[in-house]
Amino acid sequence: MDAQQKGFIMKRVTRFSGYSLLILTSLILIAPVFFMVVSSLKVDAEYLTYPIRVFPTTPQWQNYQLVFTMTPFAKVALRTALLAISTAALSAFISSMVGFGFARYNDVKGNKQLFGLVIAMLIVPFIVILIPQFILYARLKLTNTYWPWILGALAGSPYNIFMFRQFFLGFPKELEDAAEIDGCSPFQIYWKIFLPNARPVIATVMIFGFMNVWGDYLMPSIYLNASKTLLGVTLAAAFKNPQGFDLKAISLAASVIYILPMIIVFFFGQKHILKGVVTSGLKG
Amino acid sequence: METGVTTKQLEQNESGKRTLTRNQRRTFTFYLFVSPWLIGFVLLGVFPLLVGLLTSFTNYDGLNLATVKFVGLGNYARAFEDPDVSFSLVRTILWGLANLPLWLVLSFLLALILNQDVKGRGLFRTIFYLPSLIPITAAVTAWRIILEKNFGMFNASISLFTPEPVAIGWLSDYSLPGMTSISIWGGLGIGMVIFLAGLQGIPEELKEAAQIDGANSWQVFRHVTLPLMTPVIFFQLVLGLIGSFQQLNLPLLVTKVGIAASSVPPRPIYLYMIHTYQQIFTNGRYGYGTALLWMLFIGILILTWIVFWSEKYWVYSGASERDN
Amino acid sequence: MDEKPLKKLSRRDMLKLSGTFFGGALLAGCAPATEAPAPVVQPTEKPAEPTAAPVTEAPVAKPVSGHVVVMHLLHEFTEDHVAAFQEANPDITVEVVDGQDATRFFAMYAAGSPPDVYRLQAPSIPGLLARKLLLDLTPYFEASQLIDIADLAPANDYYKAESPLEIGTGKIYGMCKDFSPDCTVFANTAHFEKAGLPAPDDTKTMSYTEIMDAAKKLTVFEGERMVQYGYGYDAAWIDRFWMNILAETGGSLYAAGYEKINLTGSEDAKAVAKWFYDLAVEQVTPSPKNPSPAGWFGNDFVGATASMAQYGFWFSAMAIGDANKDAVVMLPGPTWTGERRDPTVTATGAIMTSATQVPDAAWKVFEYYHAGQPSIERAGSGWGVPALKSQWSLIPQGTDFQKQAYKVLQGELELNTPPLQFNPFIGETVVSNAWNLYLDQALSGTITFDEMLTNIENDTNIAIKEGIDRIIP
Repeated sequence: MDAQQKGFIMKRVTRFSGYSLLILTSLILIAPVFFMVVSSLKVDAEYLTYPIRVFPTTPQWQNYQLVFTMTPFAKVALRTALLAISTAALSAFISSMVGFGFARYNDVKGNKQLFGLVIAMLIVPFIVILIPQFILYARLKLTNTYWPWILGALAGSPYNIFMFRQFFLGFPKELEDAAEIDGCSPFQIYWKIFLPNARPVIATVMIFGFMNVWGDYLMPSIYLNASKTLLGVTLAAAFKNPQGFDLKAISLAASVIYILPMIIVFFFGQKHILKGVVTSGLKG
Repeated sequence: METGVTTKQLEQNESGKRTLTRNQRRTFTFYLFVSPWLIGFVLLGVFPLLVGLLTSFTNYDGLNLATVKFVGLGNYARAFEDPDVSFSLVRTILWGLANLPLWLVLSFLLALILNQDVKGRGLFRTIFYLPSLIPITAAVTAWRIILEKNFGMFNASISLFTPEPVAIGWLSDYSLPGMTSISIWGGLGIGMVIFLAGLQGIPEELKEAAQIDGANSWQVFRHVTLPLMTPVIFFQLVLGLIGSFQQLNLPLLVTKVGIAASSVPPRPIYLYMIHTYQQIFTNGRYGYGTALLWMLFIGILILTWIVFWSEKYWVYSGASERDN
Repeated sequence: MDEKPLKKLSRRDMLKLSGTFFGGALLAGCAPATEAPAPVVQPTEKPAEPTAAPVTEAPVAKPVSGHVVVMHLLHEFTEDHVAAFQEANPDITVEVVDGQDATRFFAMYAAGSPPDVYRLQAPSIPGLLARKLLLDLTPYFEASQLIDIADLAPANDYYKAESPLEIGTGKIYGMCKDFSPDCTVFANTAHFEKAGLPAPDDTKTMSYTEIMDAAKKLTVFEGERMVQYGYGYDAAWIDRFWMNILAETGGSLYAAGYEKINLTGSEDAKAVAKWFYDLAVEQVTPSPKNPSPAGWFGNDFVGATASMAQYGFWFSAMAIGDANKDAVVMLPGPTWTGERRDPTVTATGAIMTSATQVPDAAWKVFEYYHAGQPSIERAGSGWGVPALKSQWSLIPQGTDFQKQAYKVLQGELELNTPPLQFNPFIGETVVSNAWNLYLDQALSGTITFDEMLTNIENDTNIAIKEGIDRIIP
C-alpha cells in the first residue's frame, strides 16, 4: 500500500540523514584529534611550516618512547590514576548525600540560603583563595601531601552537589511519601531509592571527577613537589628543550598517551552505566 | 500513634518523653545530610575567602608582605577608571553570547540523537566525547594547525578556491569565531554527557503513557521530555554562564609565543579574566587583580541569582509538589 | 696558608673525572662531625675566614645536613640529579619544586617557607635584592672548593651587587647556570642567495639598518600568505634590546634613579623603538597581527620559513634542521652606532633566599648544580656558555657549524660587555607586555606610533611608582 510504502521510505530517509549527520559531525569533531596524532609523529620544525604538509616526512615513532624516558610518566600516571579514582568516588558519594539534602528538604529554613552559598563557591575564582588556602594547609603541615584532595572530596564539590540536587529534584514526591509510610528512615530513602536510580549522574560525576584530577595542573603545581607530582604538571612542565621551549611533538605524543585510558574507560563506562532507566517505585 | 504529617506542636508519646515535631526532624535531617559540605566550608573555605577579600583592599604584589599597605577601596575605584576593564567586560559578554546558546543547543541535540537506539551509538558517544578528554594545551596545539594564519589547514583549504592564497587571522583579527570553534568543540562532549544523564533519568513509562494517549514523537518530546529536562537545562545554563565569564586559559594558550609570558591576546578575545591575569602576574598588582575578581564574582552572582529567581517559572521540580 | 694553589689543583683534576669522584671529594672535604651539634672546629680543608668581615656568617662549623627545597624546573634539575646528590651527601635531602608558576613562590613565601634555592633570571635580581630576599653568598663563594671567584665568567656579574641600583660588582648573590651573548643573529645563507643578497659575513657586524634592508628583501609573500619572513627577535626582551642599544652611547632607557622610563622624551629611544615598530609594519617579523606560524620564530627558522633569527649562542644547539641544512651561519650581534655590545640579557641561574633555615646544606646543593657534574653535562651539551671559564673548553666544536659558531662566540665573549642594569621596581615583563598590548592597537590603526609610545611610557611609570611604593616603606 502506498501509505505503508511511504512510511517505510520516510523511515529509511530519516535514518539515512540521521546517520549522515552523525558521521559528518564525527568527522568534524575528530579532525583536530587526527591532526594531533599526526603531528605527534613530526619533527618540531615541521609542526607548521611551508610547504604545507599534513603528514610527517619521516614519522618520529621515538617521540612516544621519549615520553617515557624523559619523565617518569608511567609512575606519575599510576599515582594520578589512583588519586583520581579514589577522590572521584569519595566526592561522588558525599556530594550525592548533600545534593539529596538540598533537593528533598526544600521546606527547611535555610536551605535556599545555604544552597546559594554552594553556588557562590562555584563562582569564586580560584586565584582569589589560592594563596590563603596554601597558607592554611601549610600551617596544618599538609602541603606536599594528597590531603588537600582528600579533604576537598570529603567536603563534596559544589559542582557535583549542584548536579545531584538538580537530578534529585525531578523525582516525584510520591516515592518519598510511600517509603516514609513503609517506615524508611531518611537515610534509607536516600540509600535505597534515590541513589540506585541516580546511576547516570553518579557515572557522570565520577567521569568528571576522574578527569579533573587526571589532567589538573593548578592544584599539584601549588601543593606538590616534583617527587609526588601528578600527571597534569608532567604534561605541562616536563617536555621542554634545555632553553625552556616546548617540545611540541613530544607533548602531543604525551597527550595521546594521556587520553587513551580515558577513552577506554569512557567507552565501556557509558555502555554499562548510561543505559539505566528509572522504572522502579512508580507502580503502586 | 502519632501521624507526624500535620502536627506542629510538641507531643508526648507513651513513655512521657518529648519527641520532635516533623519540622524539627526534617531540619535536623537536612543539616545532617548537608553537614559534610558545611563543615568543609567552615573549616577550609571561610578563612581563605576572608583573606582573599582582605587582599583586595591592599597593594599586595606577592612578595611585599613586609611593606604591604591598606588601600581601602582604592583598587575598586581604579577598576572604574581603567578603560581596559570595561573593554574586556564587553568582550567577555560577547564571548558568552557567541558560545553559550550554541553550546547548549548543539549538545542537547547530540544527546537527544544518541539517546535513541542508534546503531553504534556507543562508538558515536565516545567520538563526540573525545574532544573533551583532550587536555587544553594539546587541543590548542592541534587547533593551531587548522586555524593558523599562514600555514593553517583551514586557510589552505579556502585557498584552493581563491586565485591567491588567503591568510585570515583566525587567531588574531577574527579570534572570536576562531576561539569559539575550539571552545565549543571541546565542550560538546561534556554537555552531551550531562544531557544524556538527564535523559536517562526520564522514566520510560511516562513516555509510553503519552504515546498510548496518542502523542507523536514531537509531542512526547514537547510535553514529557523537555519539561522533565528543565532542571538539567537549568544546571547547564548556570554552569555555562559561570564558565564563559571565567574563561582564561584558551586565549592565553593560543597567543602564547615560545615561553614568553608577555604575549597579550588580541583585542577581540581580550577577556576580563585575561586583563585580571595581566594585572596580577605581569604588573604584580595582586591586590588590584583580586579586587577585579571580586567584582567579577559579584557580577556573575547577580546574573546567577536572576537565573535562579526564574527557576520557579520554567523549571520542573518533583520535590516541590508539597504543601509549601 | 697556601689554600689557593691546593684549590686550583683539585678543581682541575675534578673537572676531568666523573661525578662520583666529585661526590667523594665533597665528602672528603667536609668530614662531618656526627655527634655534637655544638660548634666544632672543622677539619683543615675549610680555609681561614676572609679578612674583610662580611655581613653574613661564614660557613659555620656545624654538620652539614638538612632538608633543602629547590625551586627549579623539572627538566633542568632532574630526579637523576637529586639522586646523585643525595647519594654523595647522605645527610642532605633535596626536594625539587617546579617553578614555572610564580604563584607557588608567592604562596610559599607567604606561608613563611620560601624555597632555599631559587632559579631565576638576571632581570629579577634588582627587585628581589631591594626586597631583601637574597642571601649574600660571598663567604660561601670564597670558601668554595669547586668554584674560584676569578673563574666566574663575566656574565655572573649580574649576580653581583652593591645595591639594587648597582649591579655588576660587590657582594655575590648567586651565579648563572650557563649563559649566551643574546644578540647574535643566525642567518639562512640559502635565503640570502635566493634573494640576490651577498652572503652574510661572520667577520663583519651588520648595522640595524642593514638588517632592516635585508629583512625586507628576504620576506616572501604568496598572495596574502606570508611564506617566509626576514627577521625574528624575542619581543619579550624588547626593553632589554632597547637598553643595550642605548647603552652603546652611554644612554639609558630610564631616568637617573630608575624612577621613570624615558621614551617620548628621548630622541634616541624613540628612534630605536621606531625601528622595531617598522619591522612589524613592514611585516618582516612576527607581530600580534602576524604571529609566528610555528609558535615561536626559532622553530620557523629551523623550518626555513624565517631567514634571520636573533638568538644567543644556545640556539646553535638546535638551529639546524632538515629544511635549512648546510645553510646556517651564526653572525655577530648587530650594532646601532658602530659600538659593539653583546651581553646576555637573561643570565639564567639561581640564588639562595635570605629566609633559608639551612644555608650550608642549600649551598652544597647550589654548588653541586652550578659547578658539579650537572654543569659539566650542560657545558658539553652546547646549549650555552658555561658559567665557569675553565669549562669553556668543553663546548662542542665537532661539526663545521659548531666551529663557526664557536669562532663568532669567542668574538662576542671578548667584548666583555658589562651587565645591563634592570629596573628594580617593575617586573621583568612590564615593558614588553605594554609593547605587545599597544603594538597590536597601533598596527590596527587604532592609535598612532607616538600614542603607542606615550601609553607604554605611562603604564611603565605607573608601575614603577607602585613598585617604589611597595619596596621602600
